[in-house]
Amino acid sequence: MKRALILLGCPEAPSQTPMAVYAVYKLTKMGYEVTVASTPSAMKLLEVSDPEGYYVSNKVDIESCLSKLDEESYDLLVGFVHKDAAVSYFVTFYHILNVKSLAVVFERDSDIMENLAKDIMESTDANVVSARAYHNPTPIRVKFDRAIKHLEE
Amino acid sequence: MSFCLETYLHESENYQILISRAGFKECKKLIIDHSPEVIYVKAGEKILGVRIIGIPPIAIGINEEEGTVTLPYTKPCYGTAVVELPLDKNELESIRSLNTK
Repeated sequence: MKRALILLGCPEAPSQTPMAVYAVYKLTKMGYEVTVASTPSAMKLLEVSDPEGYYVSNKVDIESCLSKLDEESYDLLVGFVHKDAAVSYFVTFYHILNVKSLAVVFERDSDIMENLAKDIMESTDANVVSARAYHNPTPIRVKFDRAIKHLEE
Repeated sequence: MSFCLETYLHESENYQILISRAGFKECKKLIIDHSPEVIYVKAGEKILGVRIIGIPPIAIGINEEEGTVTLPYTKPCYGTAVVELPLDKNELESIRSLNTK
């Protein structure tokens, strides 16, 4: 079975948790075994959102995931990026894993969003999509759907 | 037992935080400006027991005279900090050997 890793950033952006659940749902339907790597606080949000683990069954702390990560431990990397630190984490995971990758950048400020996306594009060959969003996950979901459809082609 | 940065930062006070809650690029510039010698490592390189997080090439500062290393330290919710801490010569030499340039 193909394995996907979803990387979450700081959970302060409200749209990240629903997008994480949605991304697990979509990737699972596409045949991936999905693991979500996050901070403990982002993991708590997931646990409350999906109490029986109906969607998100594999969760791992981002630091312990990083320390054990090897090249090609997963077949696909998807990262949600809305802060400078999330760029650093995504780029680091990308360079260790060396697999097909998608960065989903979202921010309410378009200049910040463009800079985050630019930093990823300049340092990786990952697919990068960006959406102006913060509370409302819909713009991110639309971009994510298009991007994963493209990844499968 | 080998040196572990996470444990050291929790248990020792013998280090300096040169900047905190900053962006990665700002931290890289600070390391370059602050350090007499700079080496560059790959993203995810293990140094002092932790993987170094950032956009490669990642700058690591070495001050042979003071016996210190200066490196970026990133956490998802707190951005990047730059930490300078003392190290013995063997540790400095093993970090120097990771230089990619």
